[in-house]
Amino acid sequence: MGERQNGGGHGRRRVHPGAGVPGHQGNDGTGGTAGTRGADGTNGTAGTRGTGGTDGLEQLLADAMRGHPGGGEGEQLAVAAFRAARDGGAHRARTRRRDDWRPREQRRLGRSLKTTLSVLVASLTIGGVAFAAIGTSGSSADDTADRARERQPHSAASEQAGTTPGTAGSAPADRPVTAQDTEAHCRAYEKVQGRGNALDSAAWQRLIEAAGGEEKVAAYCVRQLAQAQRNKQDASQDDPQGKAPDKGNAATAAPTTGAPGNSEKQPEKATGKKKQ
Amino acid sequence: MQTYDVELGAAVARAQDGDEAAFAVAYRIVQPGLLGYLRGIVGDDAEDVASDAWLEIARDLGRFKGDGAGFRGWSATIARHRALDHLRRQKVRPRSATLEQDVLELPGPHSTHDQALESLSTEYALALVRGLPRDQAEAVLLRVVVGLDGPAAARVLGKRPGAVRTAAYRGLKRLAQQLGVESVTDDDPRTLGESK
Repeated sequence: MGERQNGGGHGRRRVHPGAGVPGHQGNDGTGGTAGTRGADGTNGTAGTRGTGGTDGLEQLLADAMRGHPGGGEGEQLAVAAFRAARDGGAHRARTRRRDDWRPREQRRLGRSLKTTLSVLVASLTIGGVAFAAIGTSGSSADDTADRARERQPHSAASEQAGTTPGTAGSAPADRPVTAQDTEAHCRAYEKVQGRGNALDSAAWQRLIEAAGGEEKVAAYCVRQLAQAQRNKQDASQDDPQGKAPDKGNAATAAPTTGAPGNSEKQPEKATGKKKQ
Repeated sequence: MQTYDVELGAAVARAQDGDEAAFAVAYRIVQPGLLGYLRGIVGDDAEDVASDAWLEIARDLGRFKGDGAGFRGWSATIARHRALDHLRRQKVRPRSATLEQDVLELPGPHSTHDQALESLSTEYALALVRGLPRDQAEAVLLRVVVGLDGPAAARVLGKRPGAVRTAAYRGLKRLAQQLGVESVTDDDPRTLGESK
């Protein structure tokens, strides 16, 4: 199909069968045909191409093979069928791909318009779903986020009060640590722990601050993850499958009870360590 | 061809708006080529197959989108499907090997090029074309008799334009040889080159 681009070749070729057609239509006698052919065959009107023979042959074949334009029974049948289809409403049928014989550019234009529209609709749909998802999980994780926010000023402020008072206060404000963030960081922390220097990044620093010290991160994470799990279950209470993870959670939640007491005493110590 | 296709396109457009006289005009413009093409595939049953095709064309006209040249291709596609259905029903091969043999044994009706060109009878032309391999015969007929351009003929046949052009070229060359037309071979390298 990519051949349309070589328009030169086709353009030239298509002229010939075509050129024969009106001639045939117009003077449908043999005299006219012989005339054109004589010119073609002998010294080649299309002599620039030196294909007088083919042209003559094509003309000849067209003349010999083409049927006579009807007006007879066939035409009447066809017109009757046309009338029936028109009156029966069949002509309002949808265009299928195989019925679309518009030049390629137009077809592509029509298709690209259709594509654009469907992409737009799809993105709106996905966007809507995503928005709704953010809405629900956001509300369910609210209290987790609140806790994180409560904790943040406590450790962060005490730690950075002397050096950069402004940032400590504004950090949670312009980018509140959401439960998801914490959760994700905690999960990642488990993976990269002790390897590389990923833990130097700002996100890790925030996590460490939130936990109140590097060695507290593990305990903090256990609590956060358990909390997140609980929240998820709260959110999916009506979900019939919500029950099964509930049991699993009891086990994971267990360490949480011990952890808070632990970490609550630690911030000062951790901060002290940090300051060194 | 241009004015001719413009006329056809206008007739089709009016017919799509419900004008039955315009549909008759389109019929008269398209039918001769369609019939010639069908004769090459189904022989004497061409008229019947053509009326089947026209019933479908008349019914589905509302679905069609395109200009005059497009209508030629669209209607040829429908005619081809009807012809293939017909062949399947008949369990008749589109052409027999013996037919080709017969054609080759026919004495050339005229000894010289010009004479041959002047009086090629429909029957003889038909016999020659049906003596070609099927893909060549169809390519030649769609290009020469129906008047489709390369890409349109390829779409009707469901093949790549290059393949169709080659088939049409080979078919014409063979016909020319059988008719004693010389100069076709000169065209060979360039035409093939273009298809690459």
